[in-house]
Amino acid sequence: MSENGFEPKIIGFLCRWCSYPGADLAGTSRIKYPPNMIPIRVMCSGRVSPEMVLRAFRAGADGVLVMGCHIGDCHYSSGNHRTIKRVPLLRNLLGYAGINPDRLRLAWVSAAEAPRFVKVTTEFTETVRELGPLSQEVAHQEVAHQEVRE
Amino acid sequence: MEYKNVLTTCVYCGCGCGLYLEVVDDHITGVWPAKTHAVSQGKLCIKGWNAADFVYHPDRLKTPLIRKDGELVEATWDEALSLIAERLGTIKAESGPNSIALLSSAKCTNEENYLLQKLARAVIGTNNVDHCARL
Amino acid sequence: MIEEPVLSLVEGIRKVVAERLEESDGVVALRRSSEGVAPHVFRKGDDLSELEIAPRYPLMTVVSKLHKAFPDIRLGIVARGCDERAFIEMAKREQIDPDRLFIIGFACTEEEAQECHCSAPAPQNLLVGTAPPPGPPNPVVEKYDEMTIDERRAFWQRQFVKCLKCYGCRNICPECFCEACAMEDAAWVEPGLLAPPFPVFHLIRAMHMASRCVACRQCELVCPAHIPLTVLYDLMRRDMETLLGYVPGTDMDAPPPLSVTLEEAPLRVAVEA
Repeated sequence: MSENGFEPKIIGFLCRWCSYPGADLAGTSRIKYPPNMIPIRVMCSGRVSPEMVLRAFRAGADGVLVMGCHIGDCHYSSGNHRTIKRVPLLRNLLGYAGINPDRLRLAWVSAAEAPRFVKVTTEFTETVRELGPLSQEVAHQEVAHQEVRE
Repeated sequence: MEYKNVLTTCVYCGCGCGLYLEVVDDHITGVWPAKTHAVSQGKLCIKGWNAADFVYHPDRLKTPLIRKDGELVEATWDEALSLIAERLGTIKAESGPNSIALLSSAKCTNEENYLLQKLARAVIGTNNVDHCARL
Repeated sequence: MIEEPVLSLVEGIRKVVAERLEESDGVVALRRSSEGVAPHVFRKGDDLSELEIAPRYPLMTVVSKLHKAFPDIRLGIVARGCDERAFIEMAKREQIDPDRLFIIGFACTEEEAQECHCSAPAPQNLLVGTAPPPGPPNPVVEKYDEMTIDERRAFWQRQFVKCLKCYGCRNICPECFCEACAMEDAAWVEPGLLAPPFPVFHLIRAMHMASRCVACRQCELVCPAHIPLTVLYDLMRRDMETLLGYVPGTDMDAPPPLSVTLEEAPLRVAVEA
């Protein structure tokens, strides 16, 4: 628990075939886990584009979780192949831009793996809690912003 | 197939950045910044990059339009000019030259703007003349 | 014995173009006129003394445009190393037909290689000139790992605050040919904000360019705000090599790794998920 009671906001992109049902199973099994993650169901983890992740950070997420099927189990055969290449690249890029890469995490969670879903979500929530609010890291930019709305 | 790049000046502001209009068979296909231009040095702002967009814009007028019964209807140049001359003359006689204002455009050439202000001052007799750059 | 006069680099190029002009419908190169230097398509009968090699424009974009507009047109091009790399990445993505293009490659000078921090300042199809040694890497990129995360953030915030969202970097890039661009999509980039939202705007392009950037440096040259974009893209290129063993613009047979399966383009490092 952080000193000032900071509760991280986490956006989770969960694939429709594996991770989202896995999360559902955790719920129906009444396993407790932190409520900080807002799940967004996508058809495949491969559908999660870098702009979706970046927009999530911009919208106020302190952490972004991308969850999909294990390699070999993707409903679309190789959708998650793209994910496993894309996410490490994006993590590195965030690091180059000065945003802690640990704010973005990739995890494979199958429809039967409710305990794994809980473990990943709990771990990630704690990681992001330790890192603090992202807005602290990008606070300076607000000064530079000038709105030119008509 | 004819390919050429035509040097021109961006119309959007007073900087006067140099750019090339890329023309393929008489059709503008894109814009290149002019890297040898002393002012712009191969760089453009967003307006410069899109400086040719208005050329083929669907909203661009191709014929004069005259409002008849509340609707804008296509007309010939003769029709339009006769109407303008007749109406401006009437308004000038009834309400005086300063009841008329003329608005030009920064996208017009200096020569065209010169003609319009001559029309305003010498023919109509008013100095109510301005254009979009001042707005 | 008659001695051949020693030709300068550009004279040598003009000679080769003259000899090969009739092999195609035209050769794409730079032309100098009273209006400056701009891309041109030289035809038989044109004055080749007007052919120039600087200042650099991304000439492969012209080839791509003409190949798509005229399905039968055959072209030649006067190309540097970066032009050829751009060609390879564009041909893989079906933006240029390699069967309808021949490349007259020439080498950059040592100064040019240094200016561009270029690791390959001559094309594989080298016909004129000798390849100089590669330029040294950008010192900012070399020392980047020593910067703390706070220093990096401060660096880019200072740089990106200058951005006027002219889209010049996107417009000039030979590899940016998408008809619908994510950088223009209001879903990802909120309209009406200057400076554009940090770091969304610039990082979208950095990610999209990851497997395509051929380090031609046109983006940085065209930026009116002098943002050192190539630092970010060089870092992405480094990652492409480490993570996927891929160097854009070098191997026509290597598929774009981010678009294909793990069997077709495997990861070179273990990724935990």
